[in-house]
Amino acid sequence: MSIAVLPGDPGELTDPIGTRRELVRNSARRSLARRRLLGRIAIGLCVAATAVSLTPLVALAAYTTGRGLHALSWGFLTHIPTPPGIPGGGISNAIVGSVVIVGLASAMAIPVGIMAALFLIERRGRTANGLRFAADVLTGVPSIAIGIFAYAVFVEPLGHFSGLAGSFALAVLMSPIVIRASEAAMQSVPRDLWEAGLALGIRRSRVVRSVVLRGALPGLVTGNLLAVARAVGETAPLLFTVLGSQLFETNPLQPMAAMPLAIYSDSTAAFPAAQQIAWGAAFVLLVLVLVLSVVARLVSSRLNRQAH
Amino acid sequence: MNPTLLEEVPPPRRTPVRGVRETLQRRGARPSGRTYALLRWAGATLFASVVLALVVSLLVSSSQAFGHSGLSFFWSGTYNASKSIYPTGIFIIGTLITTTVAIVLAVPVGVGTAALLSEFAPKWLAGPLSIMIDLIAAVPSIVVGLWGLLVLTPVFAHHVEPFLKKVPVVEWFFHGAALGPSMLLAGTVLAVMILPTIVALSRTALASVAVEDREAARALGATRWQVVRTAVVPGARTGIEAAATLAVGRALGETIAVAMVIGNTYVLPHSLLAPGATLGSAIINNFAEASPGLDRSSVIGLVVVLLVMTALVNIGGQLLLRSRLRVKAA
Amino acid sequence: MTEPVVPPAAEVSGSRGRLARTSTPILLVVVATLVLGACGSSSPSATRKKAKPATTTTAAANPTPTTNPATPGGPSTPAAQSAAHTATTKPSSSGGGCSATGGSLSSACDTQSPALQVTGAGANSIQPFFGRAFYFYAQANHGVAVNYSPAGSSVGVTDIQQNTVNFGDSEIPIKAPASGTGGTILQIPVDLGGVALSYNLPGVGSGLKLDGPTLAGIFLGTITKWNDPAIASLNPGLNLPSTTIVPVRRADSSGPGYDLDQYLISTGGSAWTSAAGAAPSTKWPISSVGVGQQLNTGVASFIQQTQGAIGYVEYAYALQASFTNVAVKNQAGSFVAPSQASIGAAGAQAGNLSAANFNIINGPGSGTYPLANFSWTLLYQKQTNADLGIVLGKLFDWVTTTGQQQAAALGYSPLPANVVALAHSTLLQLQNGAGQALFS
Repeated sequence: MSIAVLPGDPGELTDPIGTRRELVRNSARRSLARRRLLGRIAIGLCVAATAVSLTPLVALAAYTTGRGLHALSWGFLTHIPTPPGIPGGGISNAIVGSVVIVGLASAMAIPVGIMAALFLIERRGRTANGLRFAADVLTGVPSIAIGIFAYAVFVEPLGHFSGLAGSFALAVLMSPIVIRASEAAMQSVPRDLWEAGLALGIRRSRVVRSVVLRGALPGLVTGNLLAVARAVGETAPLLFTVLGSQLFETNPLQPMAAMPLAIYSDSTAAFPAAQQIAWGAAFVLLVLVLVLSVVARLVSSRLNRQAH
Repeated sequence: MNPTLLEEVPPPRRTPVRGVRETLQRRGARPSGRTYALLRWAGATLFASVVLALVVSLLVSSSQAFGHSGLSFFWSGTYNASKSIYPTGIFIIGTLITTTVAIVLAVPVGVGTAALLSEFAPKWLAGPLSIMIDLIAAVPSIVVGLWGLLVLTPVFAHHVEPFLKKVPVVEWFFHGAALGPSMLLAGTVLAVMILPTIVALSRTALASVAVEDREAARALGATRWQVVRTAVVPGARTGIEAAATLAVGRALGETIAVAMVIGNTYVLPHSLLAPGATLGSAIINNFAEASPGLDRSSVIGLVVVLLVMTALVNIGGQLLLRSRLRVKAA
Repeated sequence: MTEPVVPPAAEVSGSRGRLARTSTPILLVVVATLVLGACGSSSPSATRKKAKPATTTTAAANPTPTTNPATPGGPSTPAAQSAAHTATTKPSSSGGGCSATGGSLSSACDTQSPALQVTGAGANSIQPFFGRAFYFYAQANHGVAVNYSPAGSSVGVTDIQQNTVNFGDSEIPIKAPASGTGGTILQIPVDLGGVALSYNLPGVGSGLKLDGPTLAGIFLGTITKWNDPAIASLNPGLNLPSTTIVPVRRADSSGPGYDLDQYLISTGGSAWTSAAGAAPSTKWPISSVGVGQQLNTGVASFIQQTQGAIGYVEYAYALQASFTNVAVKNQAGSFVAPSQASIGAAGAQAGNLSAANFNIINGPGSGTYPLANFSWTLLYQKQTNADLGIVLGKLFDWVTTTGQQQAAALGYSPLPANVVALAHSTLLQLQNGAGQALFS
């Protein structure tokens, strides 16, 4: 925005207002230039930060793919494992086992977590703070301790290992992430929308359903996906609850195979063939989670679009 | 006006629809409202009871060890394998150091990435990039640990650590033999693991800041970056703090990945390049082969120490927050 | 919280809300999984839950593996599911020689149906051998499926003591009297392996000789350079560099650590015992020297990456990784490198071997490798399910005899004859719930 300078006499020094205007405009222009430069530097730093964030992923993915890709074949995905030295083994039991175990765990953790998050956003005070604190502390409990707890609750009384015990352990592991992430997502829905809904006389539960959950859906999907992704990769809780299996097993009341367990036992074996299977499994795991992420985001954006 | 006339006028009803509500109550309140409240309460109670059960079972299992060593369990510095005495004090220090390194590395990078993804990057790019970063969360800890062991360790031993030893100002932090497995490497691996949490949740928080706030800043003449710095980031602060809390929790409790890259040496680290141990790595190393009884009880005691530490770190963080808010308000 | 006014009629009769929409698929998932569970383990082509496109195509395709006959592919009767539940079995048809008590240990065990699943847990090190052995056993004896989990020796011991698995495996047997919730536990040696001391010294190659005192010095941190006089005196022909020694140990508990600790207690002198104690332990006692790595993988990769490193790994691992190994001084005074033959010699010298007397570290014999050990399988003497007991007995008799060929293929040493006899006689002690011997 330039202020028209009054035509002054030759020698602008004799025009104090014009000089002042000129000075202000110059300093504003310089300030803008400086702010723009700072902005560009800051954005450049953000770009650098993103590049740094992506580097480990690219490195991990490249390493996993490099070591695991030649293991991949139709047989790999459909056969159950064979001992070292005998070709033709695969991880079909581990894939199915992981899907069942994590599926059950999500079915346990996500509804309970979202309900607890709803509790947290509606109530203030000691109980809510205590619950939030409990969730934060639970995040720090090592997964092996949760596995031991699940062993005491499920395996010892029943007398045998089972996929259900593993699902329980994973659900306990997921729940604080689900709660905190869902709470954060729901809190991001502006308060006025809440109040508008309530002012219209809509039931609270209805407001939550139609306004809050719908508005928070992308955040909910992201947060819960994070929890599921974490659960898919956890090994330690499964060691004490699921036991693992070399056989094809879909009954969650029996010991089952799971991908992290297969990766754990094979990657630390001495035989290169076993190690290759482990990395192949790690690669398949990455692909599965990628597909899950993409599908979930597509679904959520479609639901969001339908709402409008 | 004539006062007597006024008195005859009945006072206005305070709640004009009271009659309807009374009717409803007479007919029985709507069950759906009660169901919703019940659901909320059930979810919270279920979660709380599971956490309580977990804590109680941990305390019960570790009571033998605490009874045996008393409070000195928390700060002991000696290791005696046969007597199941662990140098908890050294583990605590190791945990603090690695977590600090992880936070120092991951929070700026993570929040910067989140800012880029939510504010500056075009939509078609932000989606795939955020999916990619979330993928890191899906990599099993064992795979991250193995990658750290097989790929990062030689890189650190041969390139990063020698380089850091030569940098003029910070070299004091990095003296000693550059073996590879070290606090620095463990902190870096932890930073990689907590990055997706920070990015994903910060991104949600940043994106949820109201349009009006951004527009207000813009109207005042702020550049794009200034809008973010002054209007968006402060508004997203609670979300970013939730992200940081979850991330710290994860870093404190990580076991396998840390154990594979930290060098597992039960000595007070004299530099960031020294091998050390954390509570998590000690737990994973000692639990599986701990014989039932005092041994296992001691390892579960380490879990309890970790729990206490996480609780303290959380409380400390919240106190810090509240004091900052109060200072700002004053 | 008071309820607000009646909402507009349109809202009330509107479509189901978000919560209902998200809970219905979840409910379907849970129901589907439970139904799946009810259909039991014998139907690999059973329908699975929705929404995992990448896996639906792969796993819905009949996953019956062509190369592993141990899959329970037999008809699934309801009796079989409840049977497979705790790995008890009620054979509706009496299969092969498997359910006849009083039979011979070495006859085959061909159950036709239903499928019998045996679960075990224990040491990591024996998994490759067990994997191959059970695979080949199942080929010859249809219907016997064995599921072994390498969760660790201590976990295996705890599990068998709590009777949550059918057998356990540990590198160190349970101290006598060995018992658990199911009564007395029998312990049979099933595998012979060794511990290699691998090192990375470019320019030196193989042939490094070390003995108890020098090894103790290395792992205590008192000997810090490779050209230390103590080492040089044992290796006059080698040109030792002045590289710093980097000792690497197992950070987690391990059988190899136990064996090396035992060896150093016997031969390392008071320097070792005063620092590390006089009783061997699976937890390496000195945690202030060098670097600790996880599992054989961690130790192996550190040795490979670091010049001047020396560490201990299982021999089978060192063999696969082609490491250079130290020739360790044995009781007779010769320096012996680990090999199938020298480890076999250590096993053959095991005089009065039993679960109470299982130590073969630093044994007699000039060709004996001093760091060898057996792996022990643990099972209950009293098998309340006689059919399972018969299967277990025949299985492990096979493992200790014909199955040893699989061990040899992997680089382990086959069990010597006296140890096989011990295993056989121990298995004959298996009884049914009433106390009658299962085998004659």
